[in-house]
Amino acid sequence: MRWRHLLILLPLGVGLAMSAMLHYWEACPVFYARADAAALSVMAGLAFSLVLAAGWTVHGLLERKCRAALAQLQAQAADDRRRFLQRLDHELKNPLTALRAALANLAEAPTDAAWREAFVGVETQAQRLSRLVAELRKLADLETRPIEHAPVDLTALLEEALALARERPEAAARRLNLNLPRAPWPLPVIHGDRDLLFLTIHNLLDNALKFTRTGDVIELRAFEDGAMVIVEVADTGPGIPEEELPHVWEELYRGQGARGTPGSGLGLALVRAVVLRHGGQVALRSRVGQGTVVTVRLPAR
Amino acid sequence: MHKLLLVDDEPAITENLAPFLQRAGFDVTVATDGEEALRQIARLRPDLVILDVLMPRLDGRETLRRLRRAGNWTPVILLTQVGASTERAMALEEGADDYLNKPFDPYELVARIRAVLRRARPGQPPLAAARLLVSGPLRLDRLSRRASLEGQELVLTPKAIALLEYLMTHPDELLSRERLLDAVWGWDYPAGTRTVDTRIAELRRALGDDVVQPRYIETIPGQGYRFIAPVEAGA
Repeated sequence: MRWRHLLILLPLGVGLAMSAMLHYWEACPVFYARADAAALSVMAGLAFSLVLAAGWTVHGLLERKCRAALAQLQAQAADDRRRFLQRLDHELKNPLTALRAALANLAEAPTDAAWREAFVGVETQAQRLSRLVAELRKLADLETRPIEHAPVDLTALLEEALALARERPEAAARRLNLNLPRAPWPLPVIHGDRDLLFLTIHNLLDNALKFTRTGDVIELRAFEDGAMVIVEVADTGPGIPEEELPHVWEELYRGQGARGTPGSGLGLALVRAVVLRHGGQVALRSRVGQGTVVTVRLPAR
Repeated sequence: MHKLLLVDDEPAITENLAPFLQRAGFDVTVATDGEEALRQIARLRPDLVILDVLMPRLDGRETLRRLRRAGNWTPVILLTQVGASTERAMALEEGADDYLNKPFDPYELVARIRAVLRRARPGQPPLAAARLLVSGPLRLDRLSRRASLEGQELVLTPKAIALLEYLMTHPDELLSRERLLDAVWGWDYPAGTRTVDTRIAELRRALGDDVVQPRYIETIPGQGYRFIAPVEAGA
């Protein structure tokens, strides 16, 4: 018990003192009440003390909870940062190793053809690093850049994104479905940055195409839910193991199943950043062997 | 032979870029910070300055500001990131002739240098430093981000305004979709070419421009767009 907790007793003390004074004072004023003034003042003091005590207890509890939550957040942020640096290290290591190998080949190339091959190797890796930097900059940029808040025709946007996905070579061997409400009314107009929202849907369809196999179904659907519009990209692909699910939105994270597939590990992180900037939410459900569904919730206005 | 001043504090960049630019046919001098750059500009009177932004002592932005305040309109290409609108407003205040994002393709830099040199009007402020851009009945106020046609204000999204601004500050220049993405959007999009086409279509609708016989924006099939109407700095 700290000293300030003794303050709780102060109103009670004041009440007692007043009570004693009133009791022994000859010209004690008379209140037309059912209890005498002396008893009332004790009770008032006691009540005040109790209120103070309760207030302080609640305040103390809340403060302790806040501190615990803050400590947890800080620990998590430190954890995220460490994991991000590890992944960045990994992402830089491979192209740099390839670059150095290609440079060694360039220096010792016995023939013109070998030299040209090594040269293309250098160029490829330099481009790979440029892409990685560009993606990272996008993420950093997204958190601060002002985003457009113009009316967006979501129906047209989703149709366009699916049309683009259909042009991909993988699309020929998958069933791509689009399921949008037409009756009694179409999707409401939402406000936001059309280019960024397009990027979001594009990334989700891109993932679905990359991680599914011949014959799988990919469905792009959207519907209205109260004040929100829900857009989902679902697939019947191999699914994501449960232990990987908490990490899928993290920057540069790549699951076991994604190892052999080209990609930066930033696609979903970008999706999340864009949706959060629009005041929306993202969620991902997946079952191994059954498939994956990503849900994007956007406020409709 | 055009004289270039290349300003960057990173030797890895200047050591590789300077010989490349020399081979491209320019007379190149290197400076490693803003103060040195200002001295070299006064001494050498280069035809164009390539200026990095992040440098010790005097950074690129401040260097450019001092240069312009002194009434020096030597063309400058700033090596920086312009995407966000706040940065654009700053860029206008600075009066750089063009911008290029690091990391860039050196061939792209040479193309930009040639374009800026072609556009430059010796001793005069570039269009990139003008607050008001006028092309016949079309006016664009770059500070208030408003455009009007024959006195009628045009309803345009901020992105379309930024695109119009870039087109009007680079008249008669072939602008590829990639370059427009880089300069106006700040980064490439997966479906970037469509993204650009969508906004160009928005601009054309607002300007009442005919695709087949355009007054303002011409499509160069397979290559990009070109703003064909003459542009002047307005008062």
